[in-house]
Amino acid sequence: MQTSKRPVIARRSVLLLLVLAALLVPVPAFHAPQTHRISIDASQFEYSPGRLTVNRGDTLQVTLTASDVVHGFFLDGYEIDARVEPGISQQFTVSADRSGKFNYRCSVSCGPLHPFMIGELVVGPNEPLWRASAIAVIAAAAMLIGAGTRRSA
Amino acid sequence: MTNGRGNRTAIVTLIAILVGIPLTIVGYQYGLRPVFADHRIIDITARVPENGGFQPDLVRMEVGETVTLRFAADDVVHGIAIGPGLGVDIGQVDPGHVGEITLTVDSPGIYTYYCNTWCSPSHWRMRGVLEVVDPDAASPLSSPPDPIIEALVAAGIDIDADPQTVDGIVPDRARGQASVGSVEVPAELLEPDWRLQHTPEGGLGLLRAANRDTPDDLLIDVVAYLWSNTVPTEQAVELFAKNCAACHGERGGGDGPVAESTIDPPVAFAEAAWLRRGDIWYAKIRRGGMGTDMPNFGTLFTVEETRSLVDYLWFLSFAGP
Repeated sequence: MQTSKRPVIARRSVLLLLVLAALLVPVPAFHAPQTHRISIDASQFEYSPGRLTVNRGDTLQVTLTASDVVHGFFLDGYEIDARVEPGISQQFTVSADRSGKFNYRCSVSCGPLHPFMIGELVVGPNEPLWRASAIAVIAAAAMLIGAGTRRSA
Repeated sequence: MTNGRGNRTAIVTLIAILVGIPLTIVGYQYGLRPVFADHRIIDITARVPENGGFQPDLVRMEVGETVTLRFAADDVVHGIAIGPGLGVDIGQVDPGHVGEITLTVDSPGIYTYYCNTWCSPSHWRMRGVLEVVDPDAASPLSSPPDPIIEALVAAGIDIDADPQTVDGIVPDRARGQASVGSVEVPAELLEPDWRLQHTPEGGLGLLRAANRDTPDDLLIDVVAYLWSNTVPTEQAVELFAKNCAACHGERGGGDGPVAESTIDPPVAFAEAAWLRRGDIWYAKIRRGGMGTDMPNFGTLFTVEETRSLVDYLWFLSFAGP
């Protein structure tokens, strides 16, 4: 290797900057906050719908019903715990201010498969995945460029 | 330490544990606890009716005796209440938990402990009998006949006939309330007992005769107001939510969450109300519906509670949108 160290350091700083950017640049919000009116029905042993997808900053006005026995609704990461009986619906509001994937699960023993009664709330795009993908792309590009410069040297 | 002795110690310890733990539990429940309690303690297991319901489903006690009932839910959430007229509602008992009530009953009779939280398709079958006997009384327990139902039977009215429905009558209760002062109301229509035995349509006939020049739709509104003018008691709303809403719906539209699993679709009160007598509603609640899945609540509710429920049905029927 006859190349001086300076280009190497410069290359590495650029690489580091790119990686940091991929890790830390905030994702802009593409959507104006919306209010969703959602009905969730709890039955043995599933929620319907079992998956909710909203954008960060949205508000969910949930009407929770039960159609066979008493069920619960505990939303991970949002400090929400409701209990619902057949014939007596429950209303509550969720402000989706944390992005990520959060499970909602039954918090009242409702029968043999109760532990598997889980739904998921997806808030916003899957940021960790996209950031990791960007870093992978940067790494791959850096390796290709590095290999090219070594071959030409 | 010789090997033999160590082995023997281990075996003795193991046997002590295996025998001692069950012995302690059973000994406490059937030995120590009864000895130290100053009154009887009765353990009742609560399961869905398909798996046995309440076990035991018969408890006998004497008038004035103090008894503790411990209800242990075994499978899903059950709600425990005891009626009629005792006003006992332990509330919901989660699986693995115990709901406890210590009670003394002063009047002899047959009471019912029952589940008031929808727990399975046969939920309403989940009942147990609490017999309170007076040791000095010679006669066995019996329930007095219900005068309202007796009168229906004597008049030859078929309680189980399907309710007639009528289209196109959607009274505006609020307008009726505003106009009730401006029309001539016959005295009978102001009597709750008369209204109980007559349909709103029958009331409209009398009202028409007394107000020949008043438009019909206004009279219909007034009748709807008269039949539904009793403000629902908190107790009636609670009883309805606990015992009726699962089939008949929160607003009485016949669209409760388990309505699809019943033999006949549950009655939507508003559709049947115009041609319905209150005493038939009363009889249906107390006696149940023959050939339908409508349970009998006469062994759970007092006469007053049933009357307040009937009032609430009128209120739901004519409450408007």
